[in-house]
Amino acid sequence: MEAATTLGRERAIYNDYVREWKDKGGKVVGYACVATPVELIEAAGLLPYRIKALGNPDTELADGEMSLFNCSFCRACLQLGLDGTYDFLDGLVETNGCDHIRAMFENWQHQKDPDCFYYLKVPHFFRDDSLAYFTEELENLKKVLEGNFSIQVTDEALEEAMRGWEEVRAKWRELSALRELDEPKVSGSEAVALEVRGSSMRSEDFSRMLSRFMEERVDAAGTRPAARLMVCGPATDEVEWFEEIEGMGAVIVADALCFGARAFAQEPVEEGTPLQRLAESYLSSILCPRMYKEYARRRDLILETARRARVDGVIYLYNKFCDLHGVDSVLVRRDLEEAGIPVLVLEKEYSAKADIGRVKTRVQAFMERIGGGA
Amino acid sequence: MDKGFVMREGENGFERAINILEMIYKLPDNLSEEDVEAARDFVFPELQNTVIGLLELPADRELELFFFRLLLGIFKEAQRAQEEGKKLVFIPFTFPPEIFYSFDNIFPLCTEIVGGLITNICYGQGERFWDFAMGLGLPDSLCSANTIGTMPLFMGPGIRPDAIVYNSAGSCNPNAKIHAFASDYLGIPQFILEKPVDESARGRELHFEYLKRFIKEIEEWCGEELKEERLREVMERSYQAVELYNEYWELKKGRPCPVPNIFSMTLLVLRSQCWGRQEAVDVMQKMVDMSKERLRKGEYTAAEELARVYITYIYWFFDFAGYFTWMEKEGITILGDILAIHYFPEMDFSSKESMLRNVSDIVFDYPMTRQMGGESISLRWLDDIAYAAQDLGADACIFGGVHACKHTLGTAAFFRREMMKRLGLPTLMLTGDVFDKRHTPMEMFQEEVKTFVDQVVARKRAPRKRKKVQ
Repeated sequence: MEAATTLGRERAIYNDYVREWKDKGGKVVGYACVATPVELIEAAGLLPYRIKALGNPDTELADGEMSLFNCSFCRACLQLGLDGTYDFLDGLVETNGCDHIRAMFENWQHQKDPDCFYYLKVPHFFRDDSLAYFTEELENLKKVLEGNFSIQVTDEALEEAMRGWEEVRAKWRELSALRELDEPKVSGSEAVALEVRGSSMRSEDFSRMLSRFMEERVDAAGTRPAARLMVCGPATDEVEWFEEIEGMGAVIVADALCFGARAFAQEPVEEGTPLQRLAESYLSSILCPRMYKEYARRRDLILETARRARVDGVIYLYNKFCDLHGVDSVLVRRDLEEAGIPVLVLEKEYSAKADIGRVKTRVQAFMERIGGGA
Repeated sequence: MDKGFVMREGENGFERAINILEMIYKLPDNLSEEDVEAARDFVFPELQNTVIGLLELPADRELELFFFRLLLGIFKEAQRAQEEGKKLVFIPFTFPPEIFYSFDNIFPLCTEIVGGLITNICYGQGERFWDFAMGLGLPDSLCSANTIGTMPLFMGPGIRPDAIVYNSAGSCNPNAKIHAFASDYLGIPQFILEKPVDESARGRELHFEYLKRFIKEIEEWCGEELKEERLREVMERSYQAVELYNEYWELKKGRPCPVPNIFSMTLLVLRSQCWGRQEAVDVMQKMVDMSKERLRKGEYTAAEELARVYITYIYWFFDFAGYFTWMEKEGITILGDILAIHYFPEMDFSSKESMLRNVSDIVFDYPMTRQMGGESISLRWLDDIAYAAQDLGADACIFGGVHACKHTLGTAAFFRREMMKRLGLPTLMLTGDVFDKRHTPMEMFQEEVKTFVDQVVARKRAPRKRKKVQ
């Protein structure tokens, strides 16, 4: 399965797509969390760019601001913010995803003082009152984008962007079905690579990329894996990490990752203004442990996905110091094991190449446990 | 030697701690030096540090004996609560207990106070509880204060709450997450009051709406309506303590500071567990009276007040003697920490609605919630500590926390730089764990602080020698 290579793995933060967009006079707005409605940014005629680190192992500038007890993914992203790699961004949207990400954004703001900055405050539960507040937040974000970039975000433009991203999500579901086949035609690392690349594209281009990719794959022969795995966890864009796991004979046939299925969880909402529908669609589908009183929902979704994809086991991974996923992992492991699904919890450092040997040993042992060992 | 931790039937950390604390009733009211020495020699090493920390200095002795006797009474009430038909709720130390004291059917017990109690009274401190958490698979980057406090619930037997309450989602995720985990794992209800990270009028209004909804959920759950009269009664007592808190704050400004260091810990426990009850008023009154008397007499434990430090986050809690008493003997005054900075609005007692609105503001601006749940952690934290440090005349700051404090640790470099720019105050950054001595032993803490005070603070205070112009 060479599709990610066919399409070209993302190697640069300031990639050709973004460069071309900027060359044409386009503006780019960075965001970090999947709770950010990219439709709004796109409807403003801007390019939404999900902040990533592409496996960048360096953190020396960020370490001067954040501590070593902070998530290494956030430090890796901050590093790129501070060293100028992200200077092409014309605006930043912060979200209160977790304690680490807030610290990352605050330091970024103090050091770089971006012209356009908005703190999108996302409630920690989904209810009528929190939804009303989040809708107002989107209204405020819209005004900030309009004011900063001298544009009007019309309802029509928003509807169009919402249709565009709904199409992306529909294609993602098709892609997921190809992963879940008895002989998967798409690997987990390819799916993550596609999301990593697509999360700095406008919807029509992302959609086109997914279509092209699937056209190549739909009639191709699949691979019978030594083990069918599901991977759950936070934001990690380390495609190589997933490749290493799949290089051991397993295929990641499903996931609940932030740079994966969780980024495409939004369901369309029928009633209300475009902004109200967008707010509800997002706030009701944040499948992240940063949401409270929703553990049962997250667990059920993981269970349902695991059963549908007929997985042999689940790997729950998280970056060191991620309390949100670290705590949830205990409950997920308990409940999935009770349901007869073996679970391996892996705590790791972001982009720590030295870590991969340890990880592979543990995955190998896990695969032997679930009957997929080489 | 583990005589301090031999559990008896039905006991866990909380029960063991309060059974050991029972000996406080046997001590005479007016303790002599010999009594303190005997009490110290009677107990195991870790409890010795608690005994010394509370009782060694004559200035602390009377107050702490008085306070801990009252506190023990409250803990026993918590133990009896369920037998008496009340519901027991665990609350974090970022939540005002007076809301729950306003219900006849509910008794609140603060998770971190339970954690602190175990740490300071039980043999082996909180280590076995922390290790149990690691055995469950919980990450080692959690907050020891509330992890130690909640683990007895998982280990059993002993006290078990009927519900868990928290309000730290988004302002301190380790805190919120361990409370949510306890609820999910144990299958007991959880009640959450979110503080929006929005300091505008819109954010405060939303928080007020959230509070009303929260109270409605609590009412439905416990089958009791929050009564206006009862709320007023509790809030009036709460505000008697607030008046005394304001006096306490003013007394802290005295030079040398007449308020003993250990009173900082006492204030924290009072606010987290006792506020809204008569005990809080009585202890605060005694703290104020004693401090006034010391001010009048010009009493100070050391020969000279060498440094006045503001703790930028939280105190060290695993060794009262090594921290509070040692600093006091060294002439280092602890002026406060983030948990000592309270914002109490002027209370409008005219109606239930008006009181709840004020309660909403109290929760919104509750220490830690206000700063870590602020629109900007770094700026709100800096502003508030800078205000307190300046108002109380600090010479320097010391950072202390646990490795779970990702919000502060993630912005501490900015804080330190800006504190120096803004007020010229140096900040000593100490990593470690204020509840677990295995990270940074007290000897190491003392060495760092001593060096900092000698090398940085004392030099800063000394008049600069100017070169003579030729």
